[in-house]
Amino acid sequence: MTEGNEKVCVQGITGKYGKFHTEKMLKYGTNIVCGVSKNSSVKEIAGVPVLNSAEDAVKIYKADTSVVFVPARFAKDAVTEAIYAGIKKIIIITEHIPIHDMIEIYSLSKEKNVKIIGPNCPGIIIPSVLKIGIMPEKAFKPGDIAIISKSGTLMYEVANQLSVNSSGIKIAIGLGGDPVTGTNVSEAFDYIIKKGIKKTVLIGEPGGNEEIKGIKHAIDKGYDGKIKTFFAGKTAPEGKTMGHAGAIVEGREGSIAYKESYLKSMGIDVSEKISDLVF
Amino acid sequence: MKIHEFVGKKILKEYGINVPESVFIKNFPPEKGIIPSVIKSQVLVGGRMKSGGVLFADNGEEFLRNTEILLKKPIKGEFPYGVLAEEKIKINHEYYISAVLNREKRSEEWIFSEEGGIEIENSENIKKGSYEEILNTVPEKFRTFLPKLKKIFNEKDLTLLEINPVAEDTSGNLTALDCVMHVDDNALFRQPWAKKFTEDDHDFHYVELDGNIGIIGCGAGIVMATMDAVKNAGYSPANFLDIGGGADKETTLNALNLLKSKNIKITVMNIFGGITKCDVIANSILEFKEINKDIKLFIRLTGTNEEEAGIILEKNNIKNYKDLDEMINALDIFLKKEVHNND
Repeated sequence: MTEGNEKVCVQGITGKYGKFHTEKMLKYGTNIVCGVSKNSSVKEIAGVPVLNSAEDAVKIYKADTSVVFVPARFAKDAVTEAIYAGIKKIIIITEHIPIHDMIEIYSLSKEKNVKIIGPNCPGIIIPSVLKIGIMPEKAFKPGDIAIISKSGTLMYEVANQLSVNSSGIKIAIGLGGDPVTGTNVSEAFDYIIKKGIKKTVLIGEPGGNEEIKGIKHAIDKGYDGKIKTFFAGKTAPEGKTMGHAGAIVEGREGSIAYKESYLKSMGIDVSEKISDLVF
Repeated sequence: MKIHEFVGKKILKEYGINVPESVFIKNFPPEKGIIPSVIKSQVLVGGRMKSGGVLFADNGEEFLRNTEILLKKPIKGEFPYGVLAEEKIKINHEYYISAVLNREKRSEEWIFSEEGGIEIENSENIKKGSYEEILNTVPEKFRTFLPKLKKIFNEKDLTLLEINPVAEDTSGNLTALDCVMHVDDNALFRQPWAKKFTEDDHDFHYVELDGNIGIIGCGAGIVMATMDAVKNAGYSPANFLDIGGGADKETTLNALNLLKSKNIKITVMNIFGGITKCDVIANSILEFKEINKDIKLFIRLTGTNEEEAGIILEKNNIKNYKDLDEMINALDIFLKKEVHNND
């Protein structure tokens, strides 16, 4: 997921959000080596050189990671370009990317052995080390808890709770609220296991059954840390999309009631309120 | 986004798939008819057949009567967009075929069954797999039918394509008798044909629910968590409303005014600003409160520019609760007092 020493290239650096967050990430200490934009009139943003192609970012600045702010309709091309250029990790912040585009991106990323996080996600943060994303860093104090979340703002809320009232954050991984994401809950757990993190908070949503699958996967892999979960969307009616394209209950298994009772039967801690999330 | 059957069938036809001869009727009396025919209410809810949304006609009198009935009849609360009258097809055998999105595999999944019809959920004879896998197992006559569906599924940005049943007539021809299509909302920019049926013209995500407490937040997760907290306290959310990240004054005011137009008297607003600037939200709240003193707002603003926002609200005697729990407590006390006063 992240080793903390990534050489980051910002795709879509000249846009409003790309520019704003490049400045914030730099200030946080993230090693941003360059940006890429199709707008060739801009040569520099906040001291970061702006290039025309991902290929140059890899060749000239040895970028190994990219963070994508490119608008949805151009995102597939941007990510494809990055994959062919040899970027190995791609964090897609952009929301509203068509699902068929994401299916293509995901299948290409598997073929080329590239790690994708997102889309429609806040990114990843290791408090006090690096931030590749858009989260308000104030809510993330360094500590020993891993957060996995499909939701962005809810992740901020939970991080704030864990920073103020518990032992702080080791890493927070925003998976994104779309039905097709490059990294799912199981893969996030693989990273947490590899890094030996012993406390995990999983923030879930209606729709799909990734949360249950992911926790089962972690336990099968021998994860012996503590897992706490919080689900938003108990009041979500069936068949209605609740903001996130992925947050739609289609059938019993997607409902929060089902997910919560299933996890409880597995002996997993399910919190009623965010303020109950304390280790 | 769900697509009406008559629109889906037009697309099938364009791609060379047989559909029954038909007329689409929007108003009564119809200009044209088909006899004998199957008359189908054009609604987007499922279970239309069982709810009486499909009628038959063997003569002109029946045709007019049943068309009029269906045009006026809501199905599970949804009024029809129109009715579709189709010629009756002589059916020898019915098949089921669909393409969906498999979230776990992060790919398309194709489903085929030799037993089509309305009880497909209970059929044990279902094959699931990738397009190639299904193409290799279907009967010979589907080998040219399936590639057309594949093309539609990809080119039209569908997240669901279901034809149930595909009818085989006595001479072995395949005809699509029904058609369910869902288009990816995120792809509407390149699917203009679907766009004209979009109902949602807000600059935020809004879903109406049946309660009386308005909910506004930024980010789907935080809005859902707020709805749940209201419900946990024993009250009922009136809606889901996500103003999204980076909302400006106009969006915020539009959101507040929409809830006002729905006659909501109490609204809970929960903002954790990342991209969203809290002072912008605070100023929007002031502007709204100025005109709408009778609407009670419970506000919790934190994150980017929260200090400025706090000052703006405090100056105007509007309480900014420090977290969700505190805000919900205040709502609870307020509503209990209101009940007490009404006694």
